[in-house]
Amino acid sequence: MNRTLSRWKLFALHAGLSLLCAATLYPVLWVIKLALSPTQTLSMSANPFPEAVTLDHFRDVLGSTDAQGRWLFGRQLLSSLVVSGATTLVGLTLAVTAAYALSRFRFPGKQSGMQLLLVTQMFPATLMLVPLYSILQKLNLLDSIGGLVLVYATSSLPFCVWMLKGYFDTIPRELEEAAIMDGASPGQVFIKVVLPLARPALAVTALFSFMQAWNEFILAATLLNDTTRFTLPVALQRYVGEYKTEWGHFAAGALIISAPVMALFFALQKFLVGGLTAGAVKG
Amino acid sequence: MRPRVSDVRLVGIKKSFGDNVIVKGVDLDVTPGEFLVMVGPSGCGKTTLLRIIAGLEQADAGDIFIGGKNMNTVPPRERDVGMVFQSYALYPHMTVKENMAFGLELRKLPRAEIDGRVAEAARMLELGPLLDRKPKALSGGQRQRVAMGRVIVRRPKLFLFDEPLSNLDTALRVQMRGELARLHRTLGVTMLYVTHDQVEAMTLATRVAVFNKGVLQQLGAPLELYHRPTNTFVATFLGSPSMNLVDARREGANFVGKGFSLPAVGDAQGEVKLGLRPQDLRVGAKGPLQGEVEAVERLGFDGYAFLKTAAGPIAARFEGADVHVGQTLWVEPQGEVLHVFTADGTKALHHPETRGAKA
Amino acid sequence: MLFLALLSASIALADAPVLKLWHGYRGGEEQAIEQAAKAFTALTGTQVELLAVPYDALSSKLTSAIPHEAGPDVFIFAHERLRQFHRMKIVAPSVALDRSKYLAPAVDALELDGTLYGYPLSIKCLALFLREDRGFAAPTTTAELERLLTQAADPSKNQFGLAYEAGDFYFHAPIFFGFGGVLFKPDGRSQFDTPAMTSSMKWVKSLQDRKLMPQEVSGALVKTLFNENRAAVVISGPWFTGEIDPGVPYSIHPLPIVSDTGLPMAPFLGVEAAFVSSRTRQPELAQAFAKFLSLGDATVTRVTLGRQIPAELAAYENEVVAKDQMITAFRAVAERGTPTPNTLEMARVWEPMKLALRAVLQGGVAPEDAGALADRRYRALNREAPPTTSPLPWIIGIVIGLLAFVGYQLRAGRGTSFARRFPEAGRGLLYVAPAATGLFVLVIIPFVIGLSLSLFHHDAGDYTFVGLANFTDILTSKGYRITEPLSFYFTLVVTLVWTLANVVLHVSIGLFLAILLKDPLLKLRGVYRVLLIVPWAVPNYITAMMWKGMFHQQFGAINAILGHLGVEPVSWFTHWTTSFAANVITNTWLGFPFMMVVSLGALQSIPTDLYEAAEVDGASKWTQFRRITLPLLKPALLPAVILGSVWTFNMFNIIYLVSGGEPGGGTDILVSEAYRWAFQRNEQYGFAAAYSVLIFFVLFAWSQVTKRLSGAEPA
Repeated sequence: MNRTLSRWKLFALHAGLSLLCAATLYPVLWVIKLALSPTQTLSMSANPFPEAVTLDHFRDVLGSTDAQGRWLFGRQLLSSLVVSGATTLVGLTLAVTAAYALSRFRFPGKQSGMQLLLVTQMFPATLMLVPLYSILQKLNLLDSIGGLVLVYATSSLPFCVWMLKGYFDTIPRELEEAAIMDGASPGQVFIKVVLPLARPALAVTALFSFMQAWNEFILAATLLNDTTRFTLPVALQRYVGEYKTEWGHFAAGALIISAPVMALFFALQKFLVGGLTAGAVKG
Repeated sequence: MRPRVSDVRLVGIKKSFGDNVIVKGVDLDVTPGEFLVMVGPSGCGKTTLLRIIAGLEQADAGDIFIGGKNMNTVPPRERDVGMVFQSYALYPHMTVKENMAFGLELRKLPRAEIDGRVAEAARMLELGPLLDRKPKALSGGQRQRVAMGRVIVRRPKLFLFDEPLSNLDTALRVQMRGELARLHRTLGVTMLYVTHDQVEAMTLATRVAVFNKGVLQQLGAPLELYHRPTNTFVATFLGSPSMNLVDARREGANFVGKGFSLPAVGDAQGEVKLGLRPQDLRVGAKGPLQGEVEAVERLGFDGYAFLKTAAGPIAARFEGADVHVGQTLWVEPQGEVLHVFTADGTKALHHPETRGAKA
Repeated sequence: MLFLALLSASIALADAPVLKLWHGYRGGEEQAIEQAAKAFTALTGTQVELLAVPYDALSSKLTSAIPHEAGPDVFIFAHERLRQFHRMKIVAPSVALDRSKYLAPAVDALELDGTLYGYPLSIKCLALFLREDRGFAAPTTTAELERLLTQAADPSKNQFGLAYEAGDFYFHAPIFFGFGGVLFKPDGRSQFDTPAMTSSMKWVKSLQDRKLMPQEVSGALVKTLFNENRAAVVISGPWFTGEIDPGVPYSIHPLPIVSDTGLPMAPFLGVEAAFVSSRTRQPELAQAFAKFLSLGDATVTRVTLGRQIPAELAAYENEVVAKDQMITAFRAVAERGTPTPNTLEMARVWEPMKLALRAVLQGGVAPEDAGALADRRYRALNREAPPTTSPLPWIIGIVIGLLAFVGYQLRAGRGTSFARRFPEAGRGLLYVAPAATGLFVLVIIPFVIGLSLSLFHHDAGDYTFVGLANFTDILTSKGYRITEPLSFYFTLVVTLVWTLANVVLHVSIGLFLAILLKDPLLKLRGVYRVLLIVPWAVPNYITAMMWKGMFHQQFGAINAILGHLGVEPVSWFTHWTTSFAANVITNTWLGFPFMMVVSLGALQSIPTDLYEAAEVDGASKWTQFRRITLPLLKPALLPAVILGSVWTFNMFNIIYLVSGGEPGGGTDILVSEAYRWAFQRNEQYGFAAAYSVLIFFVLFAWSQVTKRLSGAEPA
């Protein structure tokens, strides 16, 4: 509404925003400094820029190998990618169909099912670990990437389903009916009309599923027993010892892990606003 | 090209949502090639009926025949019908061209055929320059035309329209009405049209079906309905301003009501409801009904005056006269114009002779 | 399909004849164990797969994996958990152990009721490190030590005499024993409120008060002070040799004798052993491998490469080892050491002792009262198992409840046919089925088991039904005062304050930024927006670690910035307010971008003509914000706030990793408290589950409140 901000106001606005950005980025710069500095320890300094630069920490983390000389980082990266990618795929497939049904069809148990979805989110996840472990053993899915993917995909389902359902609710039914009249089968309606229209929500849901799987480490550390199949956060955990933290390695590893998520985040950020709020704003 | 046309027959259609009965047993015959308008107030079941014909809803009871075939369990895409939605329901992620081609692609028509049909429809609807735009970048009238184009390219035997003009402004609506009529003439297909706007019904239809509360009230040519409404609902629904209704009783050779007495027509006895079209009444210095002018709707030289009379509100035409709010004036019927209904309004007892011109 | 392929890939690995070894080593020790394993492969042809797990995670991984047949054949662990491992039936007795080949205390440590478990590899204990270039003689008594420290310290130059991690009971234990402390009464239980406790605490506190040693010492600080010659004496273990800069001259000595009592400061002796899993499929091979690791060349490798103090006697005869100052020095120290008791009780001592130590050193509690404080915590943590009751009434109740539910459903559905009520049921259920199956197996079942666990008491693998005893214990605050951090009500209040503070900060900062960024004509708007959502993209455990580092008292950036502003360094985690603030700051950084994005979306949906209308009506900016912006934001913001509050309520990572509940568990929230009961306090799963159920009830009540608030379905 204020199309004509005075010059001073504009200056103050930019100054304020820059300051806030600086404050937000300071911790990140600090980590970058740790990653680039030659020491493994923290140093007492407020300066967020490194005094000396070395890539040793990155080299160590990226080049880590195991006793057999296998390239550990490469395998762990692959493992992370497979786990996160498969989680996104499986999670999204399950969430999209379920959310569509919840949004469009009437069937018994729908309301209580939706409530149950929410309710399970309120029980602390760490406490589900103990029973989960036994169930995975019964299913022969312990120490397997498949098991991890299933656990991730299902644990993020309630959130994904709720978000997608909210978005589907905003898509007019008439569009689907128009497609039916145009001669589309139920499957075609779903794939050619509903899904393309839900793209913002799909993008955001995919992003969250991917992030959740990419970042998680408690379950991964508990369920996986093979170093070469560890996901990256589990590998990172190794640099943080009980008595001693290898800050340089930790920082370098943290940056490496965060980088892909950040890239995805920025690529998809234009969907974030619409995908997150459409359900609430329009509905 | 000989138009593919189809007749529609509905037998005892019933539909309810939960405890809410929407359609209470409707029988309807649509003859091939006609433009049938289904009209009624909102919630009267007309849209539901259209959706049942389209196959978007399942009737709870009754049979639907299209082109002589029972369609009760046939899915929409095999019914060979096209539908234009109230909100147009254009696919926002597709261009105009893709929107129109979608149905044809689903039917796996050859590319050349698709392009040809889209081009033809675009020419017919003057959409040529807009083909590569997304619906977001179109005006209301343009979207409307795309919605029609989408149906036209498919060349269905039966067109269904669900209040297609209700989202347009008045000028566009008049224009589009004209185009629709032209379209019907050009294509010659059967069209079923739902609206709550009686003007659209009167101007477009070959026949009008008036619905109220899930029941078909009357089916017939527009003028027949206007002149010979089967009950007070139809009588008041069609025509603008609505027909005036007053309670009266037969006393000898007169209908006597509160503050008026009119010469009786027909053989109705006892309590009745009298219907008087405002067009048939004149405001003046004399007449059987007297009232105070509450509002004036001047259309130019002539117009309508709305009076408060002892028998209730009455609308009547005036010409030239100097009519003001607050005046006390008289209303006089122009000839033999009385419609007589039973006191509960469910049945017509007498209609005036239809005259040729209705000024 | 994809996961089927992954599944079969994981099964394919199973059949090759390999031994699995799990350990917690890093650096040189890890290299040494890898080399030793290779030597075993060369000798026997058996492949060895090693898995290094961070030490603090190793124990819980072992106790969950081995009973499920998913664990290793051999694992390396310190002996103090042996009793627990034995109770959980995950260790096998060592069949080929020759006592005479090892240091006597090392073998003693591995004995349970006359049976030996595991093969001792190395020992760890504390010794005194002295900087040689200061010209001090090694102190043999505490009187000598104090004299030395007074000479070495110079508070004006920020120089200290002694540095060690005084807040950790492992380091305090030798002093405690030196003052005549006894950890366990004859009945096996602990009693801390003793004169020895008081005098040992007094002594340490006096060193700190006289500035002979710094406050709040972390491992990193010890290292820095010693290397920079700002501490002449350090108490630490063998691992410290790796921390000393090359060129710093030092020597290693036994800890001194306490002058008041004449008793030596006896450090805990930790024995690391290679244990054979009770579930191994190749017991002979596993026994052979464990034994192999503990003897001969393997020992030498571990000593030379891993810098371990060997448990094997013969190793000290080896000429390389014999020449090694450090190794021989530690052997001398070790001979004075007492093995850490391998009883279950021992595991219950650490938390109360740490609490008391920190309370005294931070000045909150007098040394005389420390013992009582520790006792109270000790009793609270070691709840007596509630009496076992019969589950029969419960089972009957549940069955009746289920029947009533089914009956009600059937009645409700009577009259109208199913197909009429739900014409799309078939398709709907078909679409939902895959997700529902997954959720049922992997979310609902664990959830129900989690709920029912709260009715049980868990002790080393055995569950007994106790009815509502866990709940009554929690809700009546049994064993501790309501105002103590351990009490449910205290933690609940902290959790609520924590949630409220965070949500308020998230929303106000997020909304503020959204309003600044709203104007589409603002230059660089996209850049600002991208920069401001960075925190959202950072994994939250990395965020937590990062801020934990930034709040470090001596090396943290926050204190550095405060230093530039002329503010004394703040010891963030020793006071409740600062510790809580550190948590809130971290979580605010992490959470505001979400609210900002939601607010931005919602703001964009408010038509601008509303503001224009308000402007015409003469409304001020503030009135516009209050009367237009806020009410119209509500529908979008409320679900986000509800979601945010649930997330924050259960934000385990931040609390656990940033403040870790310090001081004294005061900043723990309900989830982290539940976690501690489940995984750090003798695996009291039942009690922890009861906590979780209460968390669940609180959140459920909250969701019902918000449902009213929003007048719609919650999101």
